[in-house]
Amino acid sequence: MNSMTRRSFKKAVIGSALALATLGASSLPAFAADKITVGALRFTSHAPSFVAYEKGYFTDEGLEVEFKFFQAAQPMAVAIASGDVDFGITAISGGLINLAEKGAVKVIGGGLQEEPGVNGQVILASKGAYDDGLTDPSKLKGRSFGITQAGSSFHYMAAKIAEKEGFSTADMKLVPLQKVGAIIGALKSGQVDAWSIVPHIGIPLAKGDAVVQIGMVADYIPDYQVTTVFTSTKNAEEKPDLVKRFLAAFSKGADDFNAALVDKTEGEDGANAMITLIHKYVYADQPIEKAAPSIQNGAMRMNKGAALNMTNITDQLDWFKAEGLVSKDIAIETLVNTSYVETF
Amino acid sequence: MDLNLRHISHHYDEVEVLRDINLDIRRGQIVCLIGPSGCGKSTLLRLIGGLERPTGGEVLQSGEVPEGCLNPLTYIFQDFALLPWRTVEANVSLVLEDHDLSAAAREAIIADVLARTKLADFRKAYPRQLSGGMKQRVAIARALSVRPAVLLMDEPLSALDSQTRELLMDDLVDLWEKEQYTAAYVTHNLNEAVRLGHRIVVLSRRPGEIREIVEIDMPLSDRRSDNSELEAIQKRLWNLMREEALAADRELLDV
Amino acid sequence: MSDGLRESEGPESPAKPVPFRGGGFLPKPRRIVAPIVFIALIAFWEFGCRVGFISPLILPAPSEAFDAFMNLVRTGLLWDHLAASLQRLLIGWSAGTLLGIFVGTLIGLFSLARSGLQPLVSAIFPVPKIALLPLFVIWFGIGEGSKVATILFGTFFPTVIATYGGIDNVDRNLIRMGQSFGLSKLSIIRKIILPGALPAILSGARISAAIAIILLVAAEMIAAEYGVGAYILLAGSLMATDQLIAGVALLSLMGLVFAWLIGQAEKYFLKWR
Ligand SMILES: Nc1ncnc2c1ncn2[C@@H]1O[C@H](COP(=O)(O)OP(=O)(O)O)[C@@H](O)[C@H]1O
Ligand SMILES: [Mg+2]
Repeated sequence: MNSMTRRSFKKAVIGSALALATLGASSLPAFAADKITVGALRFTSHAPSFVAYEKGYFTDEGLEVEFKFFQAAQPMAVAIASGDVDFGITAISGGLINLAEKGAVKVIGGGLQEEPGVNGQVILASKGAYDDGLTDPSKLKGRSFGITQAGSSFHYMAAKIAEKEGFSTADMKLVPLQKVGAIIGALKSGQVDAWSIVPHIGIPLAKGDAVVQIGMVADYIPDYQVTTVFTSTKNAEEKPDLVKRFLAAFSKGADDFNAALVDKTEGEDGANAMITLIHKYVYADQPIEKAAPSIQNGAMRMNKGAALNMTNITDQLDWFKAEGLVSKDIAIETLVNTSYVETF
Repeated sequence: MDLNLRHISHHYDEVEVLRDINLDIRRGQIVCLIGPSGCGKSTLLRLIGGLERPTGGEVLQSGEVPEGCLNPLTYIFQDFALLPWRTVEANVSLVLEDHDLSAAAREAIIADVLARTKLADFRKAYPRQLSGGMKQRVAIARALSVRPAVLLMDEPLSALDSQTRELLMDDLVDLWEKEQYTAAYVTHNLNEAVRLGHRIVVLSRRPGEIREIVEIDMPLSDRRSDNSELEAIQKRLWNLMREEALAADRELLDV
Repeated sequence: MSDGLRESEGPESPAKPVPFRGGGFLPKPRRIVAPIVFIALIAFWEFGCRVGFISPLILPAPSEAFDAFMNLVRTGLLWDHLAASLQRLLIGWSAGTLLGIFVGTLIGLFSLARSGLQPLVSAIFPVPKIALLPLFVIWFGIGEGSKVATILFGTFFPTVIATYGGIDNVDRNLIRMGQSFGLSKLSIIRKIILPGALPAILSGARISAAIAIILLVAAEMIAAEYGVGAYILLAGSLMATDQLIAGVALLSLMGLVFAWLIGQAEKYFLKWR
């Protein structure tokens, strides 16, 4: 018993000494590959990281990447705040902003963006509501609209659609259902009238009998910065070198992705090769023939060079403030560190 | 009302408990059943009261049921079987509530039996507030309230200390003097048997058979604990029982 | 007699008191201890947050949580949340309990129900009701139905088990007594079996009330605008940890009140013990 305690004490001493040593080392230029953990969801929208990993772009930057997969964006943000994960990709949400306010995370670059003409998020209606006259988003007034939670990107999209169509968000009945799966169920069974969602989920749904596509999100938020790259405040402020190298590799992955699946400049073979690569991570439980269309459906434009649309990010932040979901005093600098990528 | 037991035998699975019991319980008599423990006395009593069906033979009842009788065959249990969540009066009331009686009639019966068992002051008490002797008096009051034709008592005094037992035994004697009730009274206490029994049935060890039936003519009120005639009978019973008990003991060891 | 006198006069070796070896093993509630522990803990927590060794990311200060709570009171939202939750709890819990007592009684009394339903109950009881939520949404809709159903299902099974367990433990001699006095079946059930099972049913109610509160958050995952659970979920997704703590404190307060109410019911119904 006694010896145990002494041993664990020794361990603790050595442990903290090591910790001190690494703390010192991290400010020095890396001489061996730096280990980082990247949080990801198994969605096509997270493909640039997968591409960068598979094509060795991370290794080229001297990064040894380990992926940590999550079921939802929220726990990933918490994991980055706690330091268990270094980089992640997620939509701006009330939770993310509040984590930034607590000094835990920073947005450092752009991920997905809406671009009219390119595959983008779709607006869906249940078959019942569609037959009942909900044939386009202007008729959403008085209808129910599925969201995961107040302060989610779904909530933002609903509000923007309402704004542009000239009615208030309060004229719709927003139904918080927590999980994407629950919203799908509710939409299919006609318990909510409408929803907006990324194409790789939305398009297959609309192919079925229970759901009809009635519009595109890009028509309402043409410059919508759908997802952003983010990291811990500590990384953003104390390890600029590491962050730069990550973003460089990530951007290369994004470029390859855009070329192969969005701009389609690589021909059919290029597209197929890209889909095969992504299939290792996304819909891996399905045969490639089944997965390929879903992956292709999810191919939205990635920001080139992880550039960040500050105009839209500011708009999003202002909207969260106006809704009372985050404190009015949060400055854009609290949320975003603009020193890493181009902004527009 | 008389009860006639005809060739009663009983098995539990492979275990033969009772073998060919023939016995008459006649009106106004107390029949005591004694025998070594495990010989089937309680079982026999359950068969008599219709709580269980005998494997063989039958229990017949003959003669008129007395006027106003609500439950001809009424038990008094060793463990009193009072509902702990009911007060004394509510425990008595329990067995009257299913009968077609007016509230006033029911109340009159309750008051009467509680007075007869000297419990009038404890109507509102819960069982946990009562001593063992009082609990058994409540059980007796409850039994009397249905005006039974035959009382079936399974070691009613065994859970009580000896002073309380003496007092309750006197109560049972007094009651019989007044009402001449009919009873089958199971006991393993020979003194109780000779004090209360008009006939004493001695059962053998399991499977229980009737070894002997002893009749005592002496009026109940004359039976004092120092009576030499009773002492002689008790001694005889003891010798009978001793053999059975010793044999039963040896059998248990053989198992 | 003289022996006794001599004994008390003078033993050979000097007299000393018999060593005491009894006592202990009888924990008794000490009223003041709980509040002291509670207050000390909160004071330490507040202190830690003020001084800074508990970072706001890890835990918000109790005072911040209290502010969040007062905010609820000021805006009047507290009553909306409480009213919505209490209604769901009350309907779900009482329906679950009543149905549970009914089915538990069937299992306790009838061989057919016992063989048919008991394995079913054992199989479904451990299923986390939250896993069935998507099905509940389809069966009962996203209105109050699925919320009440979640709580109902959660409280139904422990009540069934408590009830038939209680019935199994009713003294068989009491039932024989009832039969020997010619009581009807219904009377035996109503006046002997159910009152005899009541202590077990009430302690089952204690557990099912706690389960109902646990399930409240799950129940209010689906399309709940108001409700303490919905408030907590929103706070969680917004990372508003002060509101989260305020909401959780509200839940445990509800738990305490429920436990107290059931304690009063026990005092009233089981005063015979
Ligand atoms: N319900 C029962 N099932 C099986 N065996 C029983 C049951 N009741 C009694 N017995 C057995 O029958 C025998 C007689 O029991 P019992 O009538 O209680 O004896 P007594 O009352 O004379 O002591 C005992 O061996 C006992 O174990
Ligand atoms: Mg017995």
